[in-house]
Amino acid sequence: MTEQPPAKKKCLGADCENDAGTLQCPKCLSLGIKGSFFCSQDCFKKNWNTHKELHKLASPETYNPFPSFSYTGPLRPVYPLSPRRVVPKSIPHPDYAESGIPGGGRTRSNKIEQLDEKGREGMRKVCRLAREVLDVAAAAIRPGITTDDLDKIVHDACIERNSYPSPLNYNFFPKSVCTSLNEVICHGIPDKRVLVDGDILNLDVTLYHEGYHGDLNETYYVGDKAKADPDSVRVTETARECLEEAIKLVKPGTLFRDFGNVIEAHAKSRGCSVIRTYVGHGINKTFHCPPNIPHYAKNRAVGECKPGMTFTIEPMIALGKYRDVTWPDNWTSTTIDGKRTAQFEHTLLVTETGVEILTARTADSPGGPIPMPTAAAA
Amino acid sequence: MDYDDDAPPDLIETNEVINEEEKPVKVPITIVTGYLGAGKTTLLNYILTAQHGKKIAVIMNEFGDSLDIEKSLTVNKDGESVEEWMEVGNGCICCSVKDTGVNAIESLMEKKGKFDYILLETTGLADPGNLAPLFWMDDGLGSTIYLDGIVTLVDAKNILRSLDDPAGKVEGHEESDEHGHGPVMTTAHVQISHADVIVINKSDLVSEDELQAVQDRITSINGLAKIHITKQSVVPELEGFLLDLHAYDRVEELDKASLGHSHLDKTISTLSIPLPVLTSGQVEKLDAWLRSVLWENVLPGHENAAGTPAFEIHRLKGRLILEDGGEKMVQGVREIFEIFDGPDNSGSQTAGKLVLIGRHLVDFDFPTSLQQTVGLAQST
Repeated sequence: MTEQPPAKKKCLGADCENDAGTLQCPKCLSLGIKGSFFCSQDCFKKNWNTHKELHKLASPETYNPFPSFSYTGPLRPVYPLSPRRVVPKSIPHPDYAESGIPGGGRTRSNKIEQLDEKGREGMRKVCRLAREVLDVAAAAIRPGITTDDLDKIVHDACIERNSYPSPLNYNFFPKSVCTSLNEVICHGIPDKRVLVDGDILNLDVTLYHEGYHGDLNETYYVGDKAKADPDSVRVTETARECLEEAIKLVKPGTLFRDFGNVIEAHAKSRGCSVIRTYVGHGINKTFHCPPNIPHYAKNRAVGECKPGMTFTIEPMIALGKYRDVTWPDNWTSTTIDGKRTAQFEHTLLVTETGVEILTARTADSPGGPIPMPTAAAA
Repeated sequence: MDYDDDAPPDLIETNEVINEEEKPVKVPITIVTGYLGAGKTTLLNYILTAQHGKKIAVIMNEFGDSLDIEKSLTVNKDGESVEEWMEVGNGCICCSVKDTGVNAIESLMEKKGKFDYILLETTGLADPGNLAPLFWMDDGLGSTIYLDGIVTLVDAKNILRSLDDPAGKVEGHEESDEHGHGPVMTTAHVQISHADVIVINKSDLVSEDELQAVQDRITSINGLAKIHITKQSVVPELEGFLLDLHAYDRVEELDKASLGHSHLDKTISTLSIPLPVLTSGQVEKLDAWLRSVLWENVLPGHENAAGTPAFEIHRLKGRLILEDGGEKMVQGVREIFEIFDGPDNSGSQTAGKLVLIGRHLVDFDFPTSLQQTVGLAQST
């Protein structure tokens, strides 16, 4: 987290590799949307139809709660947030549901739990339900829907499955799912932001069911424009592959510090960087517990895989710089240069011989890998 | 207003200058520990009022064992003190690897400009072994601060009594044996065992013999630390004593003669294991040995040592000389360690060394275990 103005700005134009000069969209300036730099009038003109969607988002009923904050990219929070959603008392709540502060997991011990068969079965079940919920929400993604609409879908799907949405009130997180768009690395708060054709959106879902947490996320293309944008596809597919490459290593004896080497090497080979601040984590009866799983190379992470351990790997991959900036909402983490970022996550169980991907996709899961757009002139 | 124009307006010239990202300069942080009365306050007051020409931030009070940080911080520059308040966001500390205290210091520096040095005063009862890992961060995290070292102040008059006082038993460590017998591990022990510099203060209040006894005892616990003896809390030169320690990126002090010759203290000792020139395969094996010892608390070859109290490594340093002329450094605190490339002075060193500081080291045969694991026939 260094000095405020980030590096040289690139032109906002799709596929445009030029550095932006000092030319900015006047509409954005009048709306208080910063950072809308273009390299030339021509490029601006070419991108106008996509770009002007941004102006729509500043509608009169909604507002930017932090107008003086210097955002790193085009995205803005769109407040007011909807009222807090309620989970029926009949569904078992985790300890922080009331207090906001998770208690159980904050021991200083670095001891990593190895689950017995009963624990493993509990994890299998909650992870299967978490996958179902993610798939339900992902199927609803389309231009025109808000991230808050998706929050409601996730929240209701959790309750239908007799599960508590783990993010809700975890360290006072206000919503039931994390929705991270475009330059948001993670922990985006669902609000009134309308999805537009060309966005990429990460949904990070965690359920608490019968005493166990199951955690997964995927990044999805919104509309066909995103699928045709080489950079969006490159960062999203690279993140997907990074997770797959790391999972290939999981078996008893693998060192937690080694995942980052594989992830960073693959990201670099695609011209992407690895976000450093956020890590994968142990997960079982506690939402976040040891081990820490950094995704960057050359880390000193402690510990090795042993049968019965359950943890996440969740690489966040960026098109530009790895550094992050947190919005004044204390949650939303964005890239420092406003460039796009993508993430994928699974909850994994180390077995006696290898790994079980507890949150694996099913044949019907929405999303999934797509090829690079062929017209990729860039 | 109608935002949905059909045609794009003309771009306008804004003359906003866009800066290149600066390469972050890292600011060293020194952790200062010591019992109440050991002279911490005198030392820090000196730093806060003296004309030393440096911009030193002192973080005081209750930066204890927890992840909390009290929000007050005092910055001294040219004899003038300014109190600042740090913002500690709540955020999701669990899935961020950076400690909230680290974040608070970083964001303060972002706003107020860089300090030259940061001193962090712990409570009298703090176990520095819990704090060091928070500040000894991976380079990959790109933090703007780095752990320079740990300085422990002791009071010559009281330290021996503190080391033997069962009431001073440190919290959060496993019992050495089930019945709670045996020598106690006090907070004074862990403050000394994790220290890179130890200041023996108030030496004027004890006789020469007593001072020697204090020195011997401290050296037997921690044979690696630099020792300074002061009178009446007179502060020595800051560089190399409090600042610019480089305790976590260099390993210069391994050649000290005092290493591993005394077991004066029954609880904690320093153990020095000589190592011959190693192949890269042997470095791998040494890494595996360290993983077993530090992560699993298992000494290879002694897996079934039932009834023996568990050992505990607090600090570890090493220098490895490689067959190809290369040199590697080993650094560790508690369960975290790293083997990294050292300065390339090919040929000047012919033997390496691994030094461990910890509890119950004398109850096990560490040298043989290491030599067998790494595959060294010629044990010394």
